[in-house]
Amino acid sequence: MTLAPPRQTETLHSSLEKEEKKSGWTDRLFHLLVGGSALVVLLVLGGLVLLMGYGGREALHIFGLQFAFHNVWNPVTNEYGAWAPLFGTIISTLIGVLIAIPLAFGTAFWLTAIASPRVSSVIGMAVQLLAAVPSIIFGMWGFFTIVPFVARHVQPFLTHHFRHTPILAPLIHGAPFGTGLLTAGLVLAVMIAPFMTAVMRDVFGAVPPMLRESAYGLGATRWDVMRKIVVPWSRSGIIGAAVLGMGRALGETMAVTFVIGNVTDVGWSLFAPRSTVASLIALQFPESPAGSIRLSSLLALGFILMLLSFVSLALARTLRGDTK
Amino acid sequence: MTDTQQQAAPQNALTVRNLNFFYGQHHALHDVNIDFPARKVTAMIGPSGCGKSTLLRVFNRMYDLYPGQRAEGDVTFDGRNILENGIDLNIMRARIGMVFQKPTPFPMSIYDNIAFGVRLHERLTRAQMDERVQDVLTRVALWGEVRDRLHAPASGLSGGQQQRLCIARSIATRPEVLLLDEPTSALDPISTARIEELLDELKEEFTIVIVTHNMQQAARCADQVAFFYMGRLVEVDTADRIFTNPRQQQTQDYITGRFG
Repeated sequence: MTLAPPRQTETLHSSLEKEEKKSGWTDRLFHLLVGGSALVVLLVLGGLVLLMGYGGREALHIFGLQFAFHNVWNPVTNEYGAWAPLFGTIISTLIGVLIAIPLAFGTAFWLTAIASPRVSSVIGMAVQLLAAVPSIIFGMWGFFTIVPFVARHVQPFLTHHFRHTPILAPLIHGAPFGTGLLTAGLVLAVMIAPFMTAVMRDVFGAVPPMLRESAYGLGATRWDVMRKIVVPWSRSGIIGAAVLGMGRALGETMAVTFVIGNVTDVGWSLFAPRSTVASLIALQFPESPAGSIRLSSLLALGFILMLLSFVSLALARTLRGDTK
Repeated sequence: MTDTQQQAAPQNALTVRNLNFFYGQHHALHDVNIDFPARKVTAMIGPSGCGKSTLLRVFNRMYDLYPGQRAEGDVTFDGRNILENGIDLNIMRARIGMVFQKPTPFPMSIYDNIAFGVRLHERLTRAQMDERVQDVLTRVALWGEVRDRLHAPASGLSGGQQQRLCIARSIATRPEVLLLDEPTSALDPISTARIEELLDELKEEFTIVIVTHNMQQAARCADQVAFFYMGRLVEVDTADRIFTNPRQQQTQDYITGRFG
């Protein structure tokens, strides 16, 4: 080693340095590019929050924190409160998610555990296609199918039988328009269920085959394996799927606007026309002049909707964290 | 059946005759004939893809889970051909336990991991179940380490502990045969040594079939060794004979490391 001529080590050294310079340059560019893309995420998020908050500051200034819980939306007297659309958003989302979760879970379960592989792949493909259908299609379908169905069959039936039942009566009260929270919830459920099914199916499929085989190896049936191994193992994924679906339902605009009736009011009835944050913004934005309190109120609504989504996401994180 | 055959039957826990196995079009096992003596350890060795794991998976019909995989021939266990259609797979699998390459603790507590298989087939009182759990954990030398945290998640155990838990789980349903598919390939040498010691104790009660890539392991644990190559059984004999004086040149080449 000591006998090695110094010149050779020098050339080796310089060539190494050259290499380093060259790779250092591309490396830095690469770092800059990927770092930049990550930074864009932060900028967009910050920009959105800022725009909504800044645009809505006038409304929040005039109406104060009461804005969120005030049930009035009156463009004539220029009085605005977010309670009615907020209520509509939360209740229609809850109805949608509560219907969609069992539907999605059942479908995913059937596709993974019971259906033959060929049938499963065909239906699985159909589920993915359904998940890719644009929401406006669901809106029109809801308008032409669900709304008349609810108006002609569901509500008259319920009114006829439960008109005098203590707790149910206020829930079904109102004229049979067919539009309202329940209809919106139904359309939302049909819209988000395929999406949730697709996610849950992937989550069930991600259970290591060896884990399943271990359970089969002890003499477990398919039902045992699904219930006691696959579902507990993929619990956080199931919660994740539910929350993703919920996020979509919270912000869904077009489908809901078609079927909710668009009346800014609050009440117990699931059949009376209501509105949601997203549908109200979509409908009133074009008619709100720049600089008006109305526009500011709509932006403040947007701000609250964003907060709502963040809260649901945070909720999911804690739910997931607890299980691990 | 003649008298001599009836007497000979209990000697072999599993008898394989003219077994062929197919993965779709691929012919993975060719006319395999081999006996597995009761309460002995048989090691199956051979290069990757030689069919040894496939044979193991025939013994509990694990291949049934996957369409396109099929076996032809006879595998006699307790007087019946387990490849027949009429076999109750759930009961058969409880009687022929299996342990995998990697520890596969279920997403539940240590206690429930053991109780899982037992609950599928037996109705035990709480006290009986407690006793069963303690018994099998003691036998795999895990009781002392986990007695204070039986209701903690099994995922919190070390890899070696998890694998011993999986063995405990398999013997909790009181099987007659225990299949082990490279059970120590994911473990450190100390954990491996403990599992090997365990096999030595377990063979007093169970017939053990172990697939291994580790020649030393086969030499240390096995009474009988079977060498597979390209889907065929090349040679089966006592461990001593295989490792000192095999009949076939291929076996000689494999155990001396000339290929594999």
